[in-house]
Amino acid sequence: MKRLVALTAILLLAATGCSGTDDNEGESGGKVELTYWSWAPNMDKVAEVWNAAHPDIHVTVNKQDGGDPAVTKLLTAIKAGSGAPDVMQAEYQKIPTLVAANAIADIAKEAGSLKSKFPDSAWNSVTLGQSAVYGVPQDSGPMMFFYRADIFQQLNLQAPTTWEQYADVARKVHAANPKQYLGTFSANDPGWFSGLSQQAGASWWGVKGDAWSVNIDDANTRKVAQYWGGLVQEGAVLNTPMYTPEWNAALNDGTQVGWLGAVWGPGVLSGSAPATKGKWKAALLPQWDAAKPANGNWGGSATSVTTQTKHRKQAAQFAGWLNTDPAALKALAQTANVYPAATDATATALTTPPAFFAEQTDFYALAAQAAKATNPFTYGPNVNVAYNAYNDAFGKAAESRQAAAFTAALGTMQTTTLDDLKKAGFKTA
Amino acid sequence: MSTTRGNGASPAATVILLLGAAYCLVPVLWVLVASSKSLDELFSTFTFAPSTHLLDNLAELSAYRDGLYWRWMANTALYAGVGALASTLVSAMAGFALAKYEFPGKKSVFNLVLSGVLVPGVILAIPQYLLLAEAGLTNTYWSVLLPSVISPYGIYLCRIFAAAAVPSEVLEAARIDGAGDWRSFARVALPMMRSGLVTVFLFQFVAIWNNFMLPYIMLGDDHLYPITVGLNGLLNQGANQPAMYTSVITGSLVSIVPLIALFLTLQRYWRVDLAAGAVKA
Amino acid sequence: MLARARAPYAFLAPALVLFAAFLAAPILYTAYLSLWKVKVSGLGLGPDARTEVWAGLGQYADALSEPDFLASVGRVALYGLIVVPVMLGGALLFALLLDAGRTRIGPFARISIFLPYAVPAVVASLLWGFLYLPRVSPFVWVLEHSGIGAPNLFSSQLVLYAVANVAIWGGTGFNMIVIYTALRAIPSELSESARIDGASELQIALRVKVPIVRPSLIMTFVFSLIATLQVFAEPMNLKPLSNTISTTWSPLMTVYRDAFTRNDIHSAAATSIIIAVATFALSFGFLKLVGNRAFGQES
Repeated sequence: MKRLVALTAILLLAATGCSGTDDNEGESGGKVELTYWSWAPNMDKVAEVWNAAHPDIHVTVNKQDGGDPAVTKLLTAIKAGSGAPDVMQAEYQKIPTLVAANAIADIAKEAGSLKSKFPDSAWNSVTLGQSAVYGVPQDSGPMMFFYRADIFQQLNLQAPTTWEQYADVARKVHAANPKQYLGTFSANDPGWFSGLSQQAGASWWGVKGDAWSVNIDDANTRKVAQYWGGLVQEGAVLNTPMYTPEWNAALNDGTQVGWLGAVWGPGVLSGSAPATKGKWKAALLPQWDAAKPANGNWGGSATSVTTQTKHRKQAAQFAGWLNTDPAALKALAQTANVYPAATDATATALTTPPAFFAEQTDFYALAAQAAKATNPFTYGPNVNVAYNAYNDAFGKAAESRQAAAFTAALGTMQTTTLDDLKKAGFKTA
Repeated sequence: MSTTRGNGASPAATVILLLGAAYCLVPVLWVLVASSKSLDELFSTFTFAPSTHLLDNLAELSAYRDGLYWRWMANTALYAGVGALASTLVSAMAGFALAKYEFPGKKSVFNLVLSGVLVPGVILAIPQYLLLAEAGLTNTYWSVLLPSVISPYGIYLCRIFAAAAVPSEVLEAARIDGAGDWRSFARVALPMMRSGLVTVFLFQFVAIWNNFMLPYIMLGDDHLYPITVGLNGLLNQGANQPAMYTSVITGSLVSIVPLIALFLTLQRYWRVDLAAGAVKA
Repeated sequence: MLARARAPYAFLAPALVLFAAFLAAPILYTAYLSLWKVKVSGLGLGPDARTEVWAGLGQYADALSEPDFLASVGRVALYGLIVVPVMLGGALLFALLLDAGRTRIGPFARISIFLPYAVPAVVASLLWGFLYLPRVSPFVWVLEHSGIGAPNLFSSQLVLYAVANVAIWGGTGFNMIVIYTALRAIPSELSESARIDGASELQIALRVKVPIVRPSLIMTFVFSLIATLQVFAEPMNLKPLSNTISTTWSPLMTVYRDAFTRNDIHSAAATSIIIAVATFALSFGFLKLVGNRAFGQES
């Protein structure tokens, strides 16, 4: 039936004489053409390095609008049976979804040997704890705390090292100037909240045998939700989303005094408030338990090979080169603004701090420390359902400014996510 | 048709119209002012205080990935220009047939076409993608152009224009002179429908120019993007990259200019008669 | 004569072929998809872990019993109660004032009010976002400096108006042109004779002009109704700026969420069909109610 409808449409198309031109990602004269979807800036420049050294395998980069649109398009192309690229940048949290939709290929044979080049946490994200390999880790997003050193100095404040201190500093910052805030609780950034929960020890999904478990409303995440609910309720932090013109204005005029971001933060800050250059400092995330430093990720992605490619071997070869070759790592870090996941990248590619933090020579040492302390975290096959639920439930909670609403929102997230898995037929534990 | 009516100016009318004009113009004025600001000024100086960085912003916009923005403009002009032209012709033919012929199935055809007005683009985008993928046409110019040619609204308007502007006697006379159906349409009816067709063209031109969902889902290669999808990409780049506000705002301004120019030059044609024949003047 | 019998079909052929390919086939396909769902087995990670199974009307039942969806329907009804009267009332008022011709700024006002029609929804929402958000809004600046204090337009009480405003701003001009076109077609003798009979401008407008342009008003109403039921771009683009616009704020946003972010095209298809059928029923029901034959007019 599906075919029939499609066929009718094509016949009609043919009748109007409009079909005909066809895109053929073919080989001309033994040369392999690969298409690569990525949203990192200047990725085409990185691919040029590869193209210069590999005359037989030519990579064309199609810049995408970001992780979500790219996944939407990829999944539609997979459903349609054509139109997908050969190589695809895939956020870690989307890998289970992509695997479940049979969109990305197992490249264990071609890339399995690269395991030793990456930290376990990154490698786990591309294997899902199984024997398959669904991509080569590209970048990771260890969370960091950025703050306005000049304003901290004026107020005679130290960078907080525990969440208790963070709350304390938040109160002082706001007391000193009622327009001024140390941070905001953003209901529009589920990746941010999952990173903070990861730091607290949560892992929202899990695999037990052949069944999924959902643990969003666990003690660890509840601790985080309660903490932020409390700060929002007392008015020590804002309740408005990040990445809005409002937030940009606050970064520019110095009323947003701190930001819980990640290692890629300098790019966001320099693009949003270039005039504040030199006033910021980076620090590790505040800790729940200073004796047991932990961290979470916000962002990070792998280079995956799609199931539609006709050149899996070459595509996997490119993915491997891109994320392990020293020249590639250097290009990734310096022109594509990527924090490579490969373990030896810090030594080879990340020798100078990002321009926006030019004076902070230990920037990448801190980042490496943060990355090393990152807790394990498992993503499930319906991350988007959980993330949408975060948006809606925490949006309401943030608007209400009631601490109790934050923990209630967590319950909503848990139920929505688990029900969705069950409804789709996944085995759940 | 009369030209001047009433007697003397009414201050109340002027004031109300001025308020309406201000309500509609102020946000557009904001785009103009904002695109003259540097990124810092955009978030620090008073909203309507202009600055001097328009040229810098234009240069920055043009420099983005070797002038990709201008490629988006050219694509948009292609999609909107060619698409609207083809759409107008197809709609004119269909509207003419529906208005000037009696034939079995006429009413059902009209109702069927009209029901197309009821279905929003968001709903159609994915099925259209799946169908075009079967023909291997996704991620090509065709994938955006072809679906833009069919416009139920355009057919509806053309039917009204043909019914109102082309007297049956004239067609009859042409037929007696030995003109075939196509000749009667092309030589007699089309010129009479001209002003209505300009409206349909403009209407479809704006619709395609501002369309987002169809190209968003159809295109993977950003060298094929139209302006709406391109600008949206600069605005929402994901969490780890900042929104390029100055480029987006300047880009928005530049992208509206051709439409405004089109409105001003063709404004006398903007006669959208949704229910002509109510009174035949 | 035979050629004549075929002629209308020949004229219709390109439209019908394109209609079949890009509207009818996708709609049929959507209807077909809505009757199926994906069934996953186990962890759902293998290539054969998903199968499409018959769902019958199950997806429809699910959609119609979803509280978020029902809430979005209520919200859109309220939204329509704001947008349609304000937009069409404004359009009619402006059109009548322009038609009365008692002002020198007619051409300027006409093009100005029409201008927002040229602004794509992505841009319109961005610029209104800037005008709404307290720190960057000139209105808030003015209100605060005058000591009045400004409301938060993205609060849960006001967000409906904030979204409605963007739609009203974008749509008034177009409807004004439609009504104005109809007004210009009225023979001037009608107004003249009313004037000689001593009718005021207001009376002429309400008793002579408005009844004559009633068919146009009905059509603008129907098209506004359709646009209301399908409101999507404005809330979608304002959503990142606020806590109060959920992913299921309007029915079409639910479709978008299911199809584009949840990758559940079958649920999205069922919701789509519900929206299309509701749009159909409401718009044709209304036309029947007012006894208008505009859609099939010219008897």
